[in-house]
Amino acid sequence: MSLTAITDPRGRVAPLWPLSLARILLGLLWLGTLRWKLPPDFDGGDQTGLRDWLQLEVDHAAFGFYGDLIESVVLPNFTLFAWLVFLAELAVGLSLLFGLFTRAGAFIGLLMSINLGIGLLEVPGEWPWSYLLMAMWHGTLLVSNSGMLWGLDGFRHRSG
Amino acid sequence: MSTAENHGGLPGRSAASRGSIGVALLRITLGVIILVTWWKNLQDDFYTAEGLRGFFDWLFLSADKGGNGSSLGFIESIIDGTVLQAPGFFGFLQTIMEFLIGLGLLLGVFTRLFSALAFAFFAGLFLSYFGGHEWIWTYVILMASSLTVFLSWGGRMLGVDQGLAAARGDSPLGLLW
Repeated sequence: MSLTAITDPRGRVAPLWPLSLARILLGLLWLGTLRWKLPPDFDGGDQTGLRDWLQLEVDHAAFGFYGDLIESVVLPNFTLFAWLVFLAELAVGLSLLFGLFTRAGAFIGLLMSINLGIGLLEVPGEWPWSYLLMAMWHGTLLVSNSGMLWGLDGFRHRSG
Repeated sequence: MSTAENHGGLPGRSAASRGSIGVALLRITLGVIILVTWWKNLQDDFYTAEGLRGFFDWLFLSADKGGNGSSLGFIESIIDGTVLQAPGFFGFLQTIMEFLIGLGLLLGVFTRLFSALAFAFFAGLFLSYFGGHEWIWTYVILMASSLTVFLSWGGRMLGVDQGLAAARGDSPLGLLW
């Protein structure tokens, strides 16, 4: 059984490259979103910055406990949490882009997608289904071999 | 099962077959999203002549006037020359097609056909929204999802296509299931 293919119950082999391509795209997506949350200010410049987005999550909280958490814990310690978000998104982005420790990156990306979905559920102009789809994608990458093709996980596996 | 095949760690299932379940779940999610959006659009009279006309007017209206500010002029020309010449007809067509695509993907029936149609649909949305205020990655993700479902035979697990393939073999040119 190949590590670069998917099999269905009838034994048909489907290529893995669509999942690996999607993995790379998701990696680029995470890295692209860093543009409006760059240290040291994490300010978005002419775009909505991280602090503004967090405030929107407070103002339009779908779940009271979540809005309270952002308002009372995250925003007062903004710099700390901004660094955590920045480093987490950077790590997930690089992991998926280069296919290195892909399952770990997919798992963290899954948690972050769920977090985004919860926080942005009621924010005007946001389409919550985007985050469900992102969560499903990270779940798919978590259970697949997507790092084995066009990824450093494959290189490590073949070398190891 | 060799170590190389089960290096992922989940007992009793190879990493390769796990990928198929993942794609099947992706297919089901896509189907749900399409159907829920379809239902909301139906309730909002989106598929009427006025609804479609209003949507495309907003799409290409500049952002400072409250529109999306889409930037691809040739797409606007195509839409002006086709859809907006008979918006009622195209609205009816879209009502039917979106419903069938969503239902097909949800149930995993004729998945190859409906995922290909979904990809074309999302590609059209991507081009229509391009350059505007909408987060364009939404449509990239939707395109990637439908393309992956198409290329990975997403209906062959947790779907009706699994039974179709078992009973009838492969569909002609592999374009149905």
